[in-house]
Amino acid sequence: MNVHQLLSGAGPVDAVTNQARAYRRLFSEWGWGGGDHAVHVDPRAGRDFSPLAKLDPGPEDVLLFHFSAYAPKLAEWLDRPQRKLLVSHNITPARWFWDFEPMTAVQCTIGREQLPRFAQGVDLAAGVSAYNAAELADAGARETAVVPILVDRARLGAPRPDGEEVSGPPHVLFVGRITPHKRHDLLIRAFALYRREHAPDARLMLVGEPLTPGYGEAIRALGERLAPGAVAIESMLSSDQLADRWRAAHVFVCLSEHEGFCIPLLEAFHFGVPVVARAIGGIPEVAGDAVLLLDQPDPALVAELIHLAVSDAGLRGELRGRGRARLEVFEFARTAAKLRESVDRAAGSV
Amino acid sequence: MKPEDAVAAARAEVARRKAEGGYAESGGELTIEPMDQVSRAMLMEWALVEPDMDKLRSTRRLGGPITWLKRLLARGLQQYHNEVNYQQTRFNIHVLRKLIELEDRVERVERREP
Repeated sequence: MNVHQLLSGAGPVDAVTNQARAYRRLFSEWGWGGGDHAVHVDPRAGRDFSPLAKLDPGPEDVLLFHFSAYAPKLAEWLDRPQRKLLVSHNITPARWFWDFEPMTAVQCTIGREQLPRFAQGVDLAAGVSAYNAAELADAGARETAVVPILVDRARLGAPRPDGEEVSGPPHVLFVGRITPHKRHDLLIRAFALYRREHAPDARLMLVGEPLTPGYGEAIRALGERLAPGAVAIESMLSSDQLADRWRAAHVFVCLSEHEGFCIPLLEAFHFGVPVVARAIGGIPEVAGDAVLLLDQPDPALVAELIHLAVSDAGLRGELRGRGRARLEVFEFARTAAKLRESVDRAAGSV
Repeated sequence: MKPEDAVAAARAEVARRKAEGGYAESGGELTIEPMDQVSRAMLMEWALVEPDMDKLRSTRRLGGPITWLKRLLARGLQQYHNEVNYQQTRFNIHVLRKLIELEDRVERVERREP
């Protein structure tokens, strides 16, 4: 079978591109052919992706659309006669971007407007979580499936040895793009309270690319004002550096307003880092019972939960154990099987 | 402590500390509020300036080499064009936003009329 992947953009570090690469590795293992194509190919993405204009699929081939935002030239391919599978990676509501980056807001708005066309124009529409799949069903998809994000733990780096606790002052970690909906502002406020009430020497590590240099600077300034010298922002880390940040963390805190899946939860489980997170979007189904979940991110409550997650050894151990169990649910081979089943369904072979 | 008990325990501790004057928030200038956009998808699509390189071509007979030259020049000037496109798009988007705000105001005024 030939499966061609179609993306709106292929970049050096973005999650959708990485997921397409992981899919291709699996397709090759399964003996499937096909190519990977994007409307915009960033030169830093390497030679794995070709311009979409060069795609020339055979009549029996499967077209796999990765949909994550505005994709004008991708939509034209919905009219092709081949069998089609959509993998929807979740589109952030535009309302978080208007004030800071209107261009992104427009792309999200049009992306959401286009979603029904994509959902209805394919043989099978897959979401990365049940939350996402429900959106696809609402958008009119004939058939839906859930294909979680593929996370290859072998590529994440080694966690600390069992039973070895991280030492030194408390390190609070968040990994994710620095964008308004991720609510770094709330996290900094909660962290400042935690420092004041419990741990004056605590540090906050924010790892991610800023939406714009200006927005990154605004977050940096807020951190400097509320917790002087204690908030570090790092971007473009190598996988080894990122693994070091995880191994140094006492707790991972996510107060995002919108998440379709939240890969860092699985990374936290892998590295044995307790998690405090907001119960939003796809987070509860990834988190299961292994995360301290909040409905409303009151900064004082978050601060107190950070304190518990850092200082209560029994709680930390329990969360670690449950996290390991969640990793099994999202184990690579299991997710790969779901992907294969979805491609087969889309191809009409099951 | 069991994870199931942690949120309730944290809540109780916050209440206790607040009663003793703790957990007073210290503000900060940055406030992030969601803004619901008005759906004008097509206008927005047009507002984004994204020239199609495929349309950059010579219409003359045997214009292949000219097409090639034009595209080579465009690639050489891509950095400049990106900046021009960005500035134009930024302007378009802000005008569109103003227009949408005005439409909303007109709608509100009209609703008040008998």
